Amino acid sequence: MAKKSDLLQGTLDLLVLKTLAQEPLHGYAIAQRILISSRQVLEVQQGSLYPALHRLERKDLVSSEWREGDNGRMAKVYALTAAGKRQLAAELEEWSRYTSAIGWVLEG
Amino acid sequence: MRWPWQKEESDLEREIRYHLETLADGFEKQGMSRAEALKQARKEFGGVEGVREQCRDESRWSWLVHVGQDLRFGWRMMLKTPSVTLAAVGTLALGIGATTAILSLADAVLWRTLAVPAPEQLSEILWTAKERPREVVRSSSGSAFPENGLMVADFFSADGYRAMRDAGAPKAIVAAHIGGRQASFSYAGTVSVAHVRGVTGNFFPMLQVRPFVGRLLGDRDDEPGSGLVAVVTHRFWGKFLNADPAAVGTPITLNNLSYTIAGVLPPDFVGIALGDGADVYTTIQQNPEFLSPEGWYRQAQNEPLSWWMQVLARRNPGVSEQELAAVLAPSFSASWIASPKSEARTPHLRLNEASRGLGRLRRSWGDPVWMLLGLVAMVLLISCANIANLLLARAVEREKEAALRVSLGCGAGRLMRQFFTESLLLAAIGGLLSVAVALGLGQLMESLLPHGSDSMRLSLVLDVRSLLGAGGITLCTALLFGLYPAWRTARVNAAPALKEGSGSAGSMSKSRWAPAKLLVLVQVSLGVLLVTAAIVFTTRLNDIVSRDPGFERRHSLMFDVRPGEMGYKAERLKQFYVEVETRLASLAGVQAVGLSWTRPMLGAGFWDDVETPGNTKRVPSAIHHANAAFLDALGVPLVAGRPVTLQESRALVNVAIVDETIAQSLGNGSPLGMRVRVGDIDHEVVGVARKARYAEMVQSPAVVYIPFRYDRQAASVLVRTAMPPMAAFGAIRQAMKEIDKDMPLVDVFTMEQQISRTLQRERLFAWLCGSFGVLALVLCAVGIYGLMSHTTARRTGEIGIRMALGASRRVVLDQVLREGLALAVAGLVLGVPLALYAAKIATAQRLLPEGAMPYWPLGVALGLLSLSALFAVLAPALRASSVDPMQALRQG
Repeated sequence: MAKKSDLLQGTLDLLVLKTLAQEPLHGYAIAQRILISSRQVLEVQQGSLYPALHRLERKDLVSSEWREGDNGRMAKVYALTAAGKRQLAAELEEWSRYTSAIGWVLEG
Repeated sequence: MRWPWQKEESDLEREIRYHLETLADGFEKQGMSRAEALKQARKEFGGVEGVREQCRDESRWSWLVHVGQDLRFGWRMMLKTPSVTLAAVGTLALGIGATTAILSLADAVLWRTLAVPAPEQLSEILWTAKERPREVVRSSSGSAFPENGLMVADFFSADGYRAMRDAGAPKAIVAAHIGGRQASFSYAGTVSVAHVRGVTGNFFPMLQVRPFVGRLLGDRDDEPGSGLVAVVTHRFWGKFLNADPAAVGTPITLNNLSYTIAGVLPPDFVGIALGDGADVYTTIQQNPEFLSPEGWYRQAQNEPLSWWMQVLARRNPGVSEQELAAVLAPSFSASWIASPKSEARTPHLRLNEASRGLGRLRRSWGDPVWMLLGLVAMVLLISCANIANLLLARAVEREKEAALRVSLGCGAGRLMRQFFTESLLLAAIGGLLSVAVALGLGQLMESLLPHGSDSMRLSLVLDVRSLLGAGGITLCTALLFGLYPAWRTARVNAAPALKEGSGSAGSMSKSRWAPAKLLVLVQVSLGVLLVTAAIVFTTRLNDIVSRDPGFERRHSLMFDVRPGEMGYKAERLKQFYVEVETRLASLAGVQAVGLSWTRPMLGAGFWDDVETPGNTKRVPSAIHHANAAFLDALGVPLVAGRPVTLQESRALVNVAIVDETIAQSLGNGSPLGMRVRVGDIDHEVVGVARKARYAEMVQSPAVVYIPFRYDRQAASVLVRTAMPPMAAFGAIRQAMKEIDKDMPLVDVFTMEQQISRTLQRERLFAWLCGSFGVLALVLCAVGIYGLMSHTTARRTGEIGIRMALGASRRVVLDQVLREGLALAVAGLVLGVPLALYAAKIATAQRLLPEGAMPYWPLGVALGLLSLSALFAVLAPALRASSVDPMQALRQG
């Protein structure tokens, strides 16, 4: 399970961290936010979001609490931790290195 | 109660539901029905179950779920091979259990420190001399033992004690005590005997023992004129005072004197020596023995030539034994009233480390216990070898399974964890059972230490440390060999292991089985030693027990009476004894009634050097004060002369009967008419008795029988009966009741019981050795069986081919038998020098009599082991020879 989706997982984690960097959100909202931010290009398989969130929570990169949602139901809201912020910064840098390297190859 | 992982599960449920409902809300706004919207939401979301499963894997608790799976799987695997599992678990339980029990015994005998604060500060004060210093010690009470040609003694005069106490004051607290002797007590209608130890007032403050209830003795109790008080042990309090805190302050009668119970000692304080039997503590001056008007202590207390106090000291922190000895020595020698004639007769102080209490019993029990430790270590080794072998065999069988799992994507770590869990499960079950085994063996040991008011009390506590120690070793073995298959598979390429069927001949490389064979070799050779030891010690016990003591031993019984302690005085005492003699003798079925100071077969008595006038030779003898009928009651016939008459006995005429040993050592001719000097009194020899083992079964000292004094405070009554002795006891007890209804009969035992009481050390040793031998025999058989059945199982294919090619069943049977027995014989041969070497050590430690090497027990042991090996090999051999070639080849 884990190894098959290595690339997607890594990317998904980065997207989730980035999205949560702005404000704490619940799972549904994160999916919506990614969809909107990517201009409808990246449609995350909604279910796959949750294993990613739980994994990030186990690594203490995000924390969670139950809050009342917009519709009056209780929702589990995730927020970035200090460790999560550091991880995001590191992954962003790694990502930009990676993309520019790809860019150089494709342009060259 | 909800477990964290259960909460997590329901949280996940709620979280997903929230997502689906929010999603459905959107679809509903677009005009779908609620049901439709939910369906669409589910579709968009993806497989809900799959997501849940993935989330679970990311859970903090996933490892726990995996452990649960591993345990379930391990349990199923164990049930799949029940015989191997049973053998492994049983081996573990027996090995660990036996070791734990012996470690507990060793702890009680060798290692446990006294339950007092800072026990390492305690020192027992003794003195040594080459010869008995007659100039300064005329009479003594205490113990002395020889060590490396020196006499080591523990008694001091009152002056000596006081001098050392005062001189040592800056560096230590020096306290004294006198031996725990028996006294009759009565409390609230209960009448029995108790060991009473006398101690100085500073004794408990020195030990720093805190009272459990009430108070302990202190300096003020030493002051003359203070009321009689006694302190009781927790055990005595529970047994006789109903564990009632209100017992403190109530009176208890000791030897007809009324004492007030001042307090109760704490439960963990069981005395100051190994096997200490003291029940009650009083100050020395208030000790019942001391207060008795005719008592020896009365005369001895201010007599500088009488040495009778035992001394124990607690050194101040930082003071070494040498320092304290240097301070005490000058005051000790200054307290003598004469100077010894020679250097050889000059006492020198010796301080003995006493953190584990006084060492008297340890001297006789130490060596056997060390030997038991050695033997049980071998049992543990055999057990470990067995576990290793069984698990190794299973590992080889499961190689294919492991390879299959690896090829299906199971990581090495996960595989290791699976095997680790299984071993742990096995070890845990074995470990739990071992507690039961240890408890059982502990109970056996306690039951072999006979109970009586004069026997030693060994508090065997099943020690957690011992259990952990023994368990740790076996656990390591189990884990080590349990992990072997995982380790192998992680190294080995999975493909060939998968391809190889269980039966391909090529897989039987010799090296793979080398460790297993080696283990069986070690097992069998250790087994030789253990089985030989078992035979040697059980036959030796049997030999001692059935030895002819020189008298008829099945028809007598004995008990003690203590009229002096019940208030009887001089004339009344004599009346009482005469009444006992005549009343009991008139009973139907009673043949003779003996009275003596010490009971026969007590292992101790009065020892003295007997000399004859005009002869410088002194004969070390046991002095036995006995009435006229005593020899008849004991059943020892005279070989010459005449018996002492009743008149002579009651009138205290100085006549003596000597046994054959003395008669011989007194010189040529008949000893009749000769005079022997016992103490300061000459006795005329009127008879010669046949040699008898009267003191104990192991040794037979020379005996001088001299008349019983009828003014004695206490006596042992020996009754010879015409019927089985216990059948006559009812009438005897009734007659004693009629003489004095309050007189307790102490330690009623038949002669046979009394004999076995003197052999507790030998019996314990024999029983434990015997059970180790049986254990070794079984474990070795299991080991051989395990090895052979697995080798043959793996070779089913090969055997099938050979049989298909024409080999007969007989040939196959022979081959397997030969292979197994060759292994066993090799082990036996290796075991012979091992056993002989051990016998040499045991002889050096005096656990075995000098000279005779145990050749025939060794032979029997070899025979037994070969026989059990044959049985162990026979089953797998028969199975191999009944292989159906077609079946075997198809499976291969």
